[in-house]
Amino acid sequence: MLLTYALATGLTSGALYALIAVGLVMVYKSTGIINMAHGELFMISGFIAYAVHVQLGLPYVSAFIAAVVCGFGLGMLIYRGALKPLMRSSLANVLVAAVAISFILKGLARAIWGGQGDYIPFPPILSPMPIMLGPVMVIPQQIIAVGVSVALMLALALFFKATRIGKWMQATADNVKAARLVGIRVEQVYVLSFGIGGAIAAVASVIMAPITLLYPDIGFNLFLKAFAAAVLGGLNSILGAVLGGVIVGLIEQLAATYLHSKFQEVSSFIVIMFALIFMPNGLLGQRNIRKV
Amino acid sequence: MSRLLGCRSLLGALFICLLFLPFGANPYWLFVGNLILIYIVLALGLNILIGFAGHLAFANAAMFGIGAYAVGLLQVRLSFPYWLALPSGGLIAMLLGTTMAFPALRLSGIYLAMATLGFAQFTQWVFLNWETVTYGAGGFRVPAVDFSPLALPPKIGIYYLSWLIAVSLVAFAWNAMSSRIGRAFVAMRDGEIAAESLGVTLLHYKALAFAMSGVYAGIAGGLFAGLLDYVAPETFDLFQMITHKAMVMVGGIGSITGSVIGATLLVLLLEALRAFKSTQEIAFGTILLVFVVFCPGGLVSICRRYLPHWQEPLHVAQHAAILPDTDSGDVSDSPPPPARAEL
Amino acid sequence: MSREWLGGLLGVLAIATNGLVSHGLRAEDGVTNETITIGGLGALTGPGYLYGKIVMDGAEAIYKEANDAGGIAGRKIIYVRQDDRCEPSAAIAAAKKLIHDDKVFMIHGGGCTNASIAAYPTIKEQNIPWVIFASVGDSLTSPPAPYIFSTALTAAIESFAQVEFARQKGAKKIAIVSQRDAWGRDRYDAVIAAFNKAGIKPVADEEIAADSNETTSQVLRLSQAGADAVVIVLYPKPAAAFLRDAFKVGYKPLMIGQTSLGDVPVLAKQTGIPQAMERFFAISHVRYTPGDEDSKKWQALLSKYSPGEQLQIFQVLGIGSAKVVVEVLKRVGRDLTRARFKEEIQKLAGFETGILPGPITCTETDHQCHKTPAWVSLVDDKVVTVDTTTVKK
Repeated sequence: MLLTYALATGLTSGALYALIAVGLVMVYKSTGIINMAHGELFMISGFIAYAVHVQLGLPYVSAFIAAVVCGFGLGMLIYRGALKPLMRSSLANVLVAAVAISFILKGLARAIWGGQGDYIPFPPILSPMPIMLGPVMVIPQQIIAVGVSVALMLALALFFKATRIGKWMQATADNVKAARLVGIRVEQVYVLSFGIGGAIAAVASVIMAPITLLYPDIGFNLFLKAFAAAVLGGLNSILGAVLGGVIVGLIEQLAATYLHSKFQEVSSFIVIMFALIFMPNGLLGQRNIRKV
Repeated sequence: MSRLLGCRSLLGALFICLLFLPFGANPYWLFVGNLILIYIVLALGLNILIGFAGHLAFANAAMFGIGAYAVGLLQVRLSFPYWLALPSGGLIAMLLGTTMAFPALRLSGIYLAMATLGFAQFTQWVFLNWETVTYGAGGFRVPAVDFSPLALPPKIGIYYLSWLIAVSLVAFAWNAMSSRIGRAFVAMRDGEIAAESLGVTLLHYKALAFAMSGVYAGIAGGLFAGLLDYVAPETFDLFQMITHKAMVMVGGIGSITGSVIGATLLVLLLEALRAFKSTQEIAFGTILLVFVVFCPGGLVSICRRYLPHWQEPLHVAQHAAILPDTDSGDVSDSPPPPARAEL
Repeated sequence: MSREWLGGLLGVLAIATNGLVSHGLRAEDGVTNETITIGGLGALTGPGYLYGKIVMDGAEAIYKEANDAGGIAGRKIIYVRQDDRCEPSAAIAAAKKLIHDDKVFMIHGGGCTNASIAAYPTIKEQNIPWVIFASVGDSLTSPPAPYIFSTALTAAIESFAQVEFARQKGAKKIAIVSQRDAWGRDRYDAVIAAFNKAGIKPVADEEIAADSNETTSQVLRLSQAGADAVVIVLYPKPAAAFLRDAFKVGYKPLMIGQTSLGDVPVLAKQTGIPQAMERFFAISHVRYTPGDEDSKKWQALLSKYSPGEQLQIFQVLGIGSAKVVVEVLKRVGRDLTRARFKEEIQKLAGFETGILPGPITCTETDHQCHKTPAWVSLVDDKVVTVDTTTVKK
């Protein structure tokens, strides 16, 4: 029973990491930038949904849409406003800029919603009562999270294969110069990538809000775990991000169940540290072609 | 006159100001000044690793913590006197930092960042959970450093000790970066394979870079423990790491003077921003963002443009430090080239 | 430089600087004919802001209310806040700034425990009155420092009360679930001390991180150990996850929280499943129940000076503590010095704040002024006070 629960909860908590990791990888694949403010995009979108649904009393669907639009818009704004000039700069510069943005977003959230509560609850889509799924009991919202992760992955796969924009993104990710040569507007691709990354974070936020609760500081720790998951999966692969997320979730729950709960938080980092020694490009990352 | 406006004179002026700070500063400003000196050492070590050797590592705050814990614990658990504990702590941090040179051989760019990040998280976890040694989450008190043989009150004593160490370590770094070590680092940063072909043994120089960064951070940590008389895990988390990175960026990556300026300015900025009370985060984020976007080379790049006699070790090579990460190797990893590049 | 040179230079420096660094004991700093300046030390930014800024908002409401009523002996209170960011070096800098730059008369603050502990020597050596409003660290008041007092329930008081409550309710196998940050660790150590004193051992000891979303493995291990009562040392988020997951697997022990979980209706919302709160008890900071006249009064006061804020346990801490400060300042009267503040607060006996569950009593040897945990539970969606005891450790 312990094992079944460890696996089940690993899967459901991994779904959260996967959702965020996918957004991260989405952006990285196209632009080469790790958006360290991604966690805060997640956080702000959740608060926007709260503001629309709970504070203004509008229906859930409008809150969801508002959050996604906000995530999309904010993602684009971050690129256009701040990260675009730094595309030519070193990794460290981009990092510091993204962190600066995360400070701003956190400060704004704290100023606007900080007085509302320490961890703000958000109503779930379905009834919160646990239901029996096979051998385990689960909270319905968690099943939704897993379902949404799968659906999102399929949607993204379809997006890349079937739409023009998706193909433009793939082309840009592959070789920027060649993409420009064939007339792809690379600038638009970058903006869109950031936008879609933000939108994915928003979806994750609204779906998970009933479980994670809303507070300004949720972003950074989640980002760290999602980043770890993305690296584990190989930063160039969306499927890798999902796999990485699930694996991180599983490691955490297995460590907590079979070792001791004090290992829960650190276990995934240790595993990844060692994994990178044997697989320097992550599980599904592309092989390293070194330019000399 | 303009001959005087070089980086050496700027450094000199800054350190002379800091030398005379205790004469007339109230205890608050003395404390801030001491923090500046400690962060100068810390930023310098980090810049050597990121700017000169080109390794994006996230373990600096962890090294800082290891130094502080080592110095504190040696005093509290093994009754070391401070003058012995400080270098020992630096040594321990150096040894642990050097172990990261091994993953650095195989990993680069983002993957190295992740591995060092994992190491940092693990270190934080050890501080919190290895309670029999580190006293866990509550931290522990360190006895005030005894400067009575020199007839100095503890706060003044630790200030001047920090000053002496900061000056010496800046001079040491200057000399090291002007020597073949510095050239080897820069060669490694700009092209590992090419550097190897020129006889730069990667393992040696990577280890040296991590060692130098580790010992600087460790000694800074020891001074920090001596300043606060208290060691607790909160100061050494990834959040603080970002502040260190910001110091390096603001000052100028790949520049010794830059590290000094960056550390000074950032500490002063954080104190000045206290006036914003609850909206400090927004103010700090905005200032940092505007700065990084409009001045990606750091303040040193401005100095270099307007002060013709700005001679720094390897300053020509600094220009390369702000260009794309070419040694990450992976074709699809590297950020896209500028729009106006030739096709 | 030759050795004599160096020695001489150091000697000159020593003599010159000894006199220059202020050891100052200034008697009337922060007091003018019209104003009293009180320093607020706590986290204004970062996750610790709940125990800093939000508590200060509560305190400031009381100060502003007193100012609007004419002030204290003709003086208005100016509350100057400095951010300690919940981090030791920032805390020391903030304390020094309050003392030497802002020149406050006294300090009313203290949120994150480690930050307060770091700032403690700085404040103690200046002999500045410090009323602690939220830090739970026992070392801050025992051994007592002449000018430092606390109106917060300490970790030891709450933890002992939790274990006692479990035993009173007849639990035979008690387990602990805690978060191991500085806040949690103090309480955890005190819980273990309480167990030792009672001569029993916890049947299980699990840890949950402060931002954990998934606690099923901890629940299962507790369940397998057969614990019939769980002492919970967690913040609301992990506690909500814990209650939710326990309900999910059908594990229904006695759940014993403390003041961080004292706002039981909000915790019920955070958990999302009202039935999960059935056997949950927590220590409350307030003696009223949300929704009744008293709470409306406090919410109105808060909204007047910090519009848009919801009354939570944090502002309550600030309000109760500020009432103590205002009362002591009133008793000292016009001739306001730090020494007289200390004398007056030491005489405070049985003072009713009107919001904290019990009376405030400080003595010369006991600077832990608040010792009355009140137990609350949720019955049919209403908060019910179950028990109020004064803990003698």
